[in-house]
Amino acid sequence: MRIVVLIAMDGIRALIHQRLLVALMLASLAGTVAFSVFLSSAREHVTQSFSEERRATEPTQGDRHLSEAEQRKFREQMEGMSSFVQAGFYKAASLGGSLVALFIFGTAVTSEIRRGTIRLTLSKPVSRTQFLLGKYMGGVAVMIAYAFFASLAVVFFALSQSVELNPAIRWAPWLMFCEQLMLGSLALLLSLFMHPILAAMLAFFAGNGFYSPPNPLYYILPSYSDFGVFFDVLQGNLVDWKDVVFLTLYAFDFVAIMLLLALWRFRTKELL
Amino acid sequence: MSAIRTENLSKTYRSVLGRKETAAVRMLSLEVKEGEVFGLLGPNGAGKTSTIHLLLNLIRPSSGAAYLFDRPVTDTDVHRRLGYLPESVNLLDYYRGEALLDFYAALCGVDAAARRARVAELLRLLGLEEAAHKRVSKYSKGMAQRLGFAQAMVHEPDLLILDEPTSSLDPLGRNDFREILLDLKRRGKTVLISSHILSEVESVCDRVAILQNGELKRVGTLAELSPAQSTRLIVRELPGAAMESLVATSAQVTWAEGQVTIRCQDAATRQAVEEVLRRHDVQIVREEAETASLNDIFLSTIKQETGS
Repeated sequence: MRIVVLIAMDGIRALIHQRLLVALMLASLAGTVAFSVFLSSAREHVTQSFSEERRATEPTQGDRHLSEAEQRKFREQMEGMSSFVQAGFYKAASLGGSLVALFIFGTAVTSEIRRGTIRLTLSKPVSRTQFLLGKYMGGVAVMIAYAFFASLAVVFFALSQSVELNPAIRWAPWLMFCEQLMLGSLALLLSLFMHPILAAMLAFFAGNGFYSPPNPLYYILPSYSDFGVFFDVLQGNLVDWKDVVFLTLYAFDFVAIMLLLALWRFRTKELL
Repeated sequence: MSAIRTENLSKTYRSVLGRKETAAVRMLSLEVKEGEVFGLLGPNGAGKTSTIHLLLNLIRPSSGAAYLFDRPVTDTDVHRRLGYLPESVNLLDYYRGEALLDFYAALCGVDAAARRARVAELLRLLGLEEAAHKRVSKYSKGMAQRLGFAQAMVHEPDLLILDEPTSSLDPLGRNDFREILLDLKRRGKTVLISSHILSEVESVCDRVAILQNGELKRVGTLAELSPAQSTRLIVRELPGAAMESLVATSAQVTWAEGQVTIRCQDAATRQAVEEVLRRHDVQIVREEAETASLNDIFLSTIKQETGS
């Protein structure tokens, strides 16, 4: 375990020093916030339009209180926009996180093989299993940090915009994290067979969203779409905690299988 | 106990479609004893690096087996006793020199206090004290090579495998390296060196092996590998009559620093010369076996094989 932790810490260090990754993470967070700010301003635009519309239809009424029907209409519009903003925020964060995960896990081992640094590490009393697990754990630690900052951004955004958090979005960071671990483990496995970019692309598009139950591919390919809460957030649905538990177990099971396959491949891989 | 042992070790690389095969190592059986400094020689593509990669379990043998300290190379625990310096040193360049050595020592299970002392000692020994806190990416090629050598020795291994260890070093660095190797030899460490610089190997190695096209061509000490057992007989004085008799033999006679050296190319010449000296009552002060230089041995082996 000590060796795995040391390799994981080295993995974190390596990732932090990857300028491209840091830039991708920052761009992803910034893009998410920018996208949300854009949607937020759209929400304000709706509020303003509503007020102008009211003034145009009832110019003599001045600042009188809204009728109950007006209030309901306004509230519905506001909630709709708020959900839209949060769903948009979630989608942007999810996409950014997926790209980060694919980058991290797709290059975790292959970059060491390509640069030849793996030879020195494996000349020490480090087994290939320890090396691969350590690299994966390092990647997971960075993804946890990313998910933490993405969650912080959600809360900060909600507070700054005085938006009530949609019930569905409360589970979003965790589900997003699980989905990214799945993506990452598949990218890691595929990267041991092919170029990391091709592996990342295959891992990203390998979801079973295009297939339905009778098709065997539906059962073989990962169900990324089940982890998406975009429509739940948009429609204000509550995500059941039992679903979250089930999805978590599914994700961990998938990750374990991918890691076992990656270990099998890595243990016999020629490190030229 | 042998530090390195290979039994009919072979490695064949196959192209992606498996149509083309390249044999990098063929039926290599070799033994390096503990405490020995062993040179692995051969032209480019002879299979030296592939042999080292097989010993490190970086690649899998097509057949045969390899052992380190009588344990299979697949047992990573035996790597506690192993230090390795690759041909092109690619270090984790996001570390600083000192931190990198600390990381590798930690991987080898060296405790924190011992690590600090050992890292400081190695940085001093290899002249990297001033660069200790410098990022490895800023190191010159020679400095990286020195740091690579330091990481190989950081856990005081019993066996060092060095693949072209001085390729990036300047003459001063090579001299330092030679001194370190001689010190390791004195301390009873086992060293396997693969190198193109034959004079370097000659000056430190107890035994050498010459590989060509993946096959072991010759193995032994320099004396064992010398093609002919020529000898030099040293005498104080050589009477004129004896000199005349020696002309009939194929021996070469030279005078220098008050002594006469008679060089005998082979056993028959030596016998004839000894007969002449006995007849003229000339005493042999001493005799020296003449060994060929490693360069001569290497070239004759390679030429023999290529038929040129």
